[in-house]
Amino acid sequence: MAPVLFFESISIPVPRKNIYRRLGFVKGVTDIPAAQQEEIERYIGHASSLIHLKGAGLRMPITEIKDARILLPDGAEFESRQLARLLANCSEIVLMGATAGREIMDAIEKDATGANVTRAIVLDAAASEIVDASLDWIMDYFNQSLRRENRKLLGKRYSAGYGDLFLETQKAMYRLLQLDRIGIEITESSILIPEKSVTAITGIKAQGS
Amino acid sequence: MDKKQKILNLLKRRILILDGATGTELQRQGMPSGVCPEVWCLENPAAIEDIHRAYQKAGADIIYTCAFGANRLKLGQYGFTNVKEINKQLVVLARRALGNRALIAGDISSTGHFVEPFGDLMFEEAVDIFKEQIRGLLAGGVDLFVIETMMDIQEARAALIAVKEITDHFTMVTMTYETNGYTLSGTDPVTALITLQSLGADAVGCNCSTGPEAMVKFIAAMKPHATVPLVAKPNAGMPRLSGKTTVYDMDPREFASWGKKLAAAGVNLIGGCCGTTPAHIAALKRASGRAPALAPVRKSISAVSSARAFKIFDEESPLLIIGERINPTGKKALQQELLDGKLNIVRQMARDQEAQGAALLDVNVGVHKIDELDTVKKVIRLLSTGTALPLVIDSPNMETIKAALRIYPGRALINSISGEKQKLKKLLPVAAKYGAMFILLPVTDNEIPETAARRKGIIRDIFRAARRFGFSKDDVVVDGLVMTVAANPGAVIETLKAIAWSANSFKCRTVLGLSNVSFGMPERKWMNTAFLAMTQAAGLTMAIANPADRELMKVKMAGDVFLQKDRDALSYIRHCSEHAKTDAAVAPAVKSSPDQDVSGAILEGNRDNIINLVDIALAAGMSPSGLVDDIMIPAINRAGELFDQRKYFLPQLIASAEAMKAALARVEPRLKREEGDRPGKGVIILATVKGDIHDIGKNIISLMLKNHGYTIIDLGKDVPAKAVIDSIRRSKPDVVGLSALMTTTMVNMEEVIGLARAGGYSCPFIAGGAVVTKAYAASIGAAYAKDGVEAVRVVEQLIKSFSKGRISK
Repeated sequence: MAPVLFFESISIPVPRKNIYRRLGFVKGVTDIPAAQQEEIERYIGHASSLIHLKGAGLRMPITEIKDARILLPDGAEFESRQLARLLANCSEIVLMGATAGREIMDAIEKDATGANVTRAIVLDAAASEIVDASLDWIMDYFNQSLRRENRKLLGKRYSAGYGDLFLETQKAMYRLLQLDRIGIEITESSILIPEKSVTAITGIKAQGS
Repeated sequence: MDKKQKILNLLKRRILILDGATGTELQRQGMPSGVCPEVWCLENPAAIEDIHRAYQKAGADIIYTCAFGANRLKLGQYGFTNVKEINKQLVVLARRALGNRALIAGDISSTGHFVEPFGDLMFEEAVDIFKEQIRGLLAGGVDLFVIETMMDIQEARAALIAVKEITDHFTMVTMTYETNGYTLSGTDPVTALITLQSLGADAVGCNCSTGPEAMVKFIAAMKPHATVPLVAKPNAGMPRLSGKTTVYDMDPREFASWGKKLAAAGVNLIGGCCGTTPAHIAALKRASGRAPALAPVRKSISAVSSARAFKIFDEESPLLIIGERINPTGKKALQQELLDGKLNIVRQMARDQEAQGAALLDVNVGVHKIDELDTVKKVIRLLSTGTALPLVIDSPNMETIKAALRIYPGRALINSISGEKQKLKKLLPVAAKYGAMFILLPVTDNEIPETAARRKGIIRDIFRAARRFGFSKDDVVVDGLVMTVAANPGAVIETLKAIAWSANSFKCRTVLGLSNVSFGMPERKWMNTAFLAMTQAAGLTMAIANPADRELMKVKMAGDVFLQKDRDALSYIRHCSEHAKTDAAVAPAVKSSPDQDVSGAILEGNRDNIINLVDIALAAGMSPSGLVDDIMIPAINRAGELFDQRKYFLPQLIASAEAMKAALARVEPRLKREEGDRPGKGVIILATVKGDIHDIGKNIISLMLKNHGYTIIDLGKDVPAKAVIDSIRRSKPDVVGLSALMTTTMVNMEEVIGLARAGGYSCPFIAGGAVVTKAYAASIGAAYAKDGVEAVRVVEQLIKSFSKGRISK
């Protein structure tokens, strides 16, 4: 089995459209005056400077998919009917995790308690979207390597806590990805800390299929 | 004639043809998926020999060995450890197939790990891993090396350094760029070119990821800056599924049709990557084999780079500012941080200077009793990822410079190399090895020359020594030497003469550290700014200065216009119009009444000016209660309506709420004086439930409710159920709001409500959070609100429906 790959510094373009969408912007409906737009852009830039994206990725074989259970080599298993359906034609998966780091969370918490809630919500949305986009980056990375094998990742990925994949699955993903090595902790209730940290799972399929 | 010279001679005559894809051809020859391709080739030599021969017969001048993943880490994943032997045998197979009919390139590619500071593989370990592979390839007898399909510029550097530390073989380096023109790590082709050619790559280019169309653009972008031949090895278009087989969408004819365009863009070595076959290469050879080879257009380039950007020092460039702040001299907080091994201030200084318009960052970590080598490595790692600006390595310590240059993932500028004998002897070879530019400081062991005439002599001497290591005038930036005018009234005149001579006669780039000039004088910034303008006119290329100095930066921009280095004054006009826009934003467009101004400020979320506008409205005679009830509350309600209609999005709503909050705080004392304590609209307890740490949504609800006259008791996040019940007992709230973001913590809401009911508390609950739905809230006996605006409405309804008397036990 391949080792866990760690990405100490992921550099991606700021996903502006997604940040605005997350904040409720509707094209052609929402009207933002120039001064407010400039303020929001400044905050997005600030968020970007406070975020230090780190990630981890792990390619591993699927031992078996049995009903709604995806069994992995070291005894770990994920239970989800939807995920099992998604991975039905895959013999391997890629697990991935990423974090925006602590500095952005410190800034959000400081602002959110009243110092500047407007900035806090922009920082929060930017951090959520940027860390999510870093999973796209990790998928691109694996796709680069898979290209020579004539294989690629599925277009979709699944995260614990969504659909019928329980949030508790995050504990196994945390362990397999050794997320402590990139500064992530996990709580009893399976919440990742720093808050802007994410994990996901996807499958590997033949190129072009 | 050695092999390297032979290749260089061939490149002068024509475009060399490289082979095509190996991976897809091996699959065609029956290689199953999941095996180690390198070892499969050794076990099935006829397959790879056939492929090599087919490409040679198709017209390829250079054939890559099938050693793409034959490094310790990749082979180790299949359980193989004999790296050197595997590499050697792969070359032996190629030679057996080809004889001397084609040149054999030892193929090196990624370990699969990103190298520090971008990944977990230590730089020296990466160099060591590549050296092991290179020794095997050399033992097999390769003619040249190719480092290919690199996504990480630092890994490409490690591989190139590994080759150069072992052998002088001709070495090509090709990075893989996405269709957006960047590697996954954010490096563009010109940045990679500047870094790799200065580090000693004999040819640079791109392979894989895209088809030839995108590569024409990459080659065209690189050509004007290339001092070495350029390489392109595109895929045969993009993959798609045909039945059960993956095919690439370009047939040989279409693929070959791009050969002439690549040649016209300036390519010197051309082949194919994924999806290409011997037929593609044969067609390419026919189409472009006779196209004229465009030699590199320059022999040297005055440019530096980081991992993600480059800066070219050409004559048309505006004056560049090297940010001077990352230097602990005279900065106690920075000194202490560096001694403690912390880098927060460094990170902040880098960010600030980049935002303030610095083009490069000077980095000096010299503090008494510090481990300078360790510190400079930490700082270089941090800044390599934390800023796109190229770095200037500033140290009097030669070992510090050496350590920094080795791990810096770009082409750095050294500050500085002087005429001191030891420095010349030790630093010039280091600068040459890593391809760095350097600041030439015209001082010697015995002399700090006071006159421009003396400086000229020393400049010539140092440059003469540098030329022996291959440096050209493009690689050197002359320091004009700044003496303090308080000690020597003629100092500035001499510096101006030295700069003018260096720029106009010696034809070199120039630099000055500005602030020395005013040492010991009052109001130093005016002297520094005047000095900048004068040296700028004398031909200065770059100045080491503090970009936070707004006067200095504005004078620089005006100077750029006067010297025709800001075409059509575009940068200057843009800078001025941006400031004008900000000024206009704070000034009211039309004359309006004071109460309209307050209303407008709340609607516009103008928190900066709201207090002033409230004061004006009150001074104009508005009563505090009238201002609140007739102006402010309708304004915030209007903001809520606009949010409901999605004409406002969340930042606008919250900015309005914050303006309202500031206005209320300003009016409240006068309101009290006017009518005593106003009866509150109700007491609301808010809490993010046990196990959950997400509370930004709860904070928004708190802000909105406060603005509508509610008293908020905010218990914070990760609040145990018992703490909520204790607060209910003490405060007798009108409503309790519970928040949770995760499915695992959402269930704790039910526990709180259950405990409250069991304890006899009948207060209404409202629930919210990303995963909470109206149905879930109803199932646990709570009301629901999807956002802050709705929460205000729901709370109002809940209070109407429940009387306080029913809450008490």
